[in-house]
Amino acid sequence: MNAVSATDGNDVHDFPAICRSIRKRFGGRTVLNDVSIAIPKGAVFGLVGRNGAGKTTLMRILVGLLMPDCGSAIILDEPALQMTDAAKTRLGYVPQSPETLSWMTVENMLQFVGGFYPRWDSEYMWNSLMRWNITPSQRLSKLSPGERQRVALIRVLATCPELLILDEPASALDPVARRDFLREIALRAGEAGMTVLFSTHIVTDLERVASHVCFLHEGKLLLNTGMDDLKDTHARLSLSREAAAGLSERLPGEIARRRRPDGGMSIVLTRQALAPWPSAALTSGATLEPMNLEDLFIELTDHPGAGWFRR
Amino acid sequence: MESDELVIQASAAEPIYRQIAQQLRRLIASGRLTPGDEIPSVRDVAGVHAINPMTVSRAYGQLEAEGLLERRRGKGMVVAAQRGRAPSTDRRLQQLQPQLDEIARQARELGIPAQSVLDRLRVLLEKDQ
Repeated sequence: MNAVSATDGNDVHDFPAICRSIRKRFGGRTVLNDVSIAIPKGAVFGLVGRNGAGKTTLMRILVGLLMPDCGSAIILDEPALQMTDAAKTRLGYVPQSPETLSWMTVENMLQFVGGFYPRWDSEYMWNSLMRWNITPSQRLSKLSPGERQRVALIRVLATCPELLILDEPASALDPVARRDFLREIALRAGEAGMTVLFSTHIVTDLERVASHVCFLHEGKLLLNTGMDDLKDTHARLSLSREAAAGLSERLPGEIARRRRPDGGMSIVLTRQALAPWPSAALTSGATLEPMNLEDLFIELTDHPGAGWFRR
Repeated sequence: MESDELVIQASAAEPIYRQIAQQLRRLIASGRLTPGDEIPSVRDVAGVHAINPMTVSRAYGQLEAEGLLERRRGKGMVVAAQRGRAPSTDRRLQQLQPQLDEIARQARELGIPAQSVLDRLRVLLEKDQ
C-alpha cells in the first residue's frame, strides 16, 4: 500500500513521476499532507478526489509550476522544479481550464506549439480535428468549453508525450468525445508505454481505463492500488443493530466504519488477494457485498475524517 | 468472434478482466467457440470498449494458463484444442465457482447449516438421474 516503497529495489527510471512526502499549505489551510506516490511506467493512474481535495495542487507541484513546502517531486528522472527543456518536451500537461494563446486560431496555435516539439505528430493533429469536428480557422476564444478541452487534448497528444498529466481532462466532453479520449490514452499507455496521471471525480471513466487508482481526501492519500485488485480486495460489511452491538474492536482489514441511522454499522474491509474475509463477516445479521469504485469512494470520503485510519 | 460480442460493465463490482475471462469461458464451454477459433486481439478489444489493454491481456493470460486459449504464431490467440477429450471435472467445476461462492455466502448470511445446503443441492443434482 505504501506507494514509495514500490520504488525500493527498482530503477527510478521505471517511475516517470514520483513525489515524496509532499506538504503544501495555503493561508492557514493544509492542502497536501505528506503525500507520496510513485507512478510506474505505462500506468494509467487515476487520482480521484472531491472538489478541493488537493488534486490540482498536487498536479501543479508535479509539473514544477508550484513549489511544495516540504518534500520533492521527480519527473522523468529530474527534479520537477529544475526540469531541462529536453525533459519538458517529453512531458504533456493540460490544466483544468486551458486558456493560453486564446487570441490565435486553432490551426495557428497548434502549429506554433508543434514547432517546439521534436516528435510532433501533425497527422494525428489533422485527423483528430476532423474527427472531433473542430474548425481549424476558428479563434480559440470563440470555442465552447467542450471544444476548447478537445483542442487542448489534441495539442498534448500530438506531442507524443512519455508522461501525460491531465487535470479533469474529460469534464466538459460529451459522451462520444469522452469515449474517444479514453480509448486514445488506454491504447497509447498499453502499446507505446505512455504513462498517464489524470484527476477526475467521474469514477466510471477510471473504471474503464485506469490501471491504478488513488483517492486524495483532505490532503491525504487514502488508497493506492491496482484497479482490478481494488475490486477484488474491498467489500462493504453491513451489520444489523444487534450484530453491531456485539462489535467493539476493529476488525482485521477494516479501513472505515460508520454508524447508520438505524443503529446498524457499515464497515469497509480490505484483504490480501483472495484471502478469506474475517469471521465477523459470516455471522448472522451481517451482509458482505462487493463494491464498485464509486461505492468505495463515497464510503471513504462522505464525511469529515472518514476512513482515516489505515493499517 | 467480434470484440463487441463481449459485454463490459465498467461500473460493476466485478473487475473487467474477470468479466472478459468469464464470458470467454462460457462461450468455449457452450461450444459457441471451438478449437482453432481466433479470439480478437488485445488491441481490438481494448479499442472497441475503450478499456486498458493490460486488463484484456490479464484475462487472456489467465485463460491461457487454464489451457483454454493458446498463442499461435502470426495468428494471435486461438481456442486451444481439447485433445479429443472433454475438459477435466476440475476445469468444468471452475465454471461454477462464482455461483458456488454466491450460494455459500448467502447460506452463511441466512445462517443455514452447511449440511442442509448440501442435502438440498444433492436432491437437485440427482433429480433427473
